Amino acid sequence: MALAPIFRKIFLVDLIKGLSLTFRYQDPKEIYTEQYPLERPQVAERYRGLPRLKMNPETGKTLCIACDLCAKACPENLITVESERDPVTKRKVLTKYTFDLSRCMFCGLCEESCSTDAIELTPDYEVAQYSRDGMVLDQKRLEEGPDRKEYKR
Amino acid sequence: MLNQLTQYLQSTVTPGQAGSMLWATIYILVIFAGISLCVVFINWGERKALAHFQIRLGPMRVGPHGLLQPIADALKLLLKEDTIPANADKVVFWVAPFIVTTAAFVVYLVVPFGPQHAVTDMNIGILFMLGVSSLGVLGIITAGWASNSHYPLLGSLRSSAQMVSYEVAMGLAVISAILMTSFTPGSGSGTLSMIGIVEAQKAQGVWFLFKFFPLGLVAFVVFAIAMIAETNRAPFDLPEAESELVAGFHTEYSGFRWSLFMLGEYAAMIAVSSIAVTLWLGGWMRPFPNLLSGTNWDTIFSLVPGAFFLFLSAVTLYSTARMPKKLTFRIQTVGLGAFGLLLGAVGLVMLVPGVRERVQDIFWFMLKVAVFMYLYIWYRATWPRYRFDQLMRVGWKVLLPLSLGVLIVTGVVGLSPELMTWLKGVL
Repeated sequence: MALAPIFRKIFLVDLIKGLSLTFRYQDPKEIYTEQYPLERPQVAERYRGLPRLKMNPETGKTLCIACDLCAKACPENLITVESERDPVTKRKVLTKYTFDLSRCMFCGLCEESCSTDAIELTPDYEVAQYSRDGMVLDQKRLEEGPDRKEYKR
Repeated sequence: MLNQLTQYLQSTVTPGQAGSMLWATIYILVIFAGISLCVVFINWGERKALAHFQIRLGPMRVGPHGLLQPIADALKLLLKEDTIPANADKVVFWVAPFIVTTAAFVVYLVVPFGPQHAVTDMNIGILFMLGVSSLGVLGIITAGWASNSHYPLLGSLRSSAQMVSYEVAMGLAVISAILMTSFTPGSGSGTLSMIGIVEAQKAQGVWFLFKFFPLGLVAFVVFAIAMIAETNRAPFDLPEAESELVAGFHTEYSGFRWSLFMLGEYAAMIAVSSIAVTLWLGGWMRPFPNLLSGTNWDTIFSLVPGAFFLFLSAVTLYSTARMPKKLTFRIQTVGLGAFGLLLGAVGLVMLVPGVRERVQDIFWFMLKVAVFMYLYIWYRATWPRYRFDQLMRVGWKVLLPLSLGVLIVTGVVGLSPELMTWLKGVL
């Protein structure tokens, strides 16, 4: 005859243990909720999100040399690069760059293939839009990044 | 008219006893409005407390910390479409929520918020309360039957079985508390009146929770378990077990009718808690009546209610000042500010000497009931639901013998002086 389990049952020890555990959870420091539009989660540095075309910070000109490597690397063929040759410098100059976000699976192959680090998948995760029309990004939108409303607490 | 109004204020009995029809009506209206308001805010408190138990935040968007959420909820419920299933028994379906709500609210006729603050003082008060609150089952059964659907019917059948079996243990626990009222020195007979029970605790100088030490406590624990089962709350919420029965007896209800069920359930919770407070926790008496006695302590304790309301008002006004200054928040800010000022006005009125003594009883009573409401939420956040056979086993095999034993032992202990003299005479 073990007495301890019987006493535990009579004095409802297990139930009280559970109550004390949940009572401690009420501490405001324990709260795990993130109030999303007011508080933004910190994603990992290598997170692959919204694409961006980088510019040379000194001249303000695009880093893209229109080599077409990203378009060839893309498994979905969603990047189009159009260029023409500059008659003076004999270099290729970018005339049109589009990125179809609706088909992108964020594999990051374009980023890896880029020889000048011009295209980059940023950690920006808010890519949802109201219609498919805005999902084909042109050079201007890729360079400027999204126009976003900031919420304050 | 004015004469009648002021005449009652000199008396020290309830309006029902004083024969003041006018004040009885006023009390009924105030209690109805107050309990409805309490239910609305307990709903907010439950969502909030439950969220904190589960390390969430709960409602946060409407007003500071979601304080105005219940108002938004009530508006939504009232504007919602009210559907009746095609094959339902329409009349019974219509009547059921009213039975539940009426049964829950009629009980408040005898709840003693203070020596003067009850609609009336019946000499069978506790019987009346138990009897009327059991009528709520009738509403639940009719709701389940009239819905003409499997889940509501199963839920209502479970509810009736559960209520019938727990009523027995509950009744026996209540009887042992009533038995204690008869041990008042010099009276010799007990009482069933709610006010009489509290006055007996006052005369004996002990709350019945601590009377004959473990006995009162055990009876109270039996009652506290049975009352959770009676009001269909977790961990005994089998009639509305979400995982098995969708929503139990109110599956087919929506909009206003559903909110009546909600109102009835929470009003019943408050009613049953107030029975427990009256029988075991000294009703309207302030805490520590023996340890901190004397007129000085009386004055200090009578200041507490007003101070409490002033503190609430300060918190509300502070959060009003911290509301966002945008145009879309203007109505919320004004509403919250008005609410804060109202609380402050109530607090100031409760500090006035004449009012203070008369009103503090209500405060202590409601505070004790509020503790019970918190316990209800705490239990819900902690314990998993019982299986139905376990529920029946606890009711019939544990609580019933326990309450019966406590009743017998209470009688023996209470009569022990007489028993001793009788034994001496025999030997």
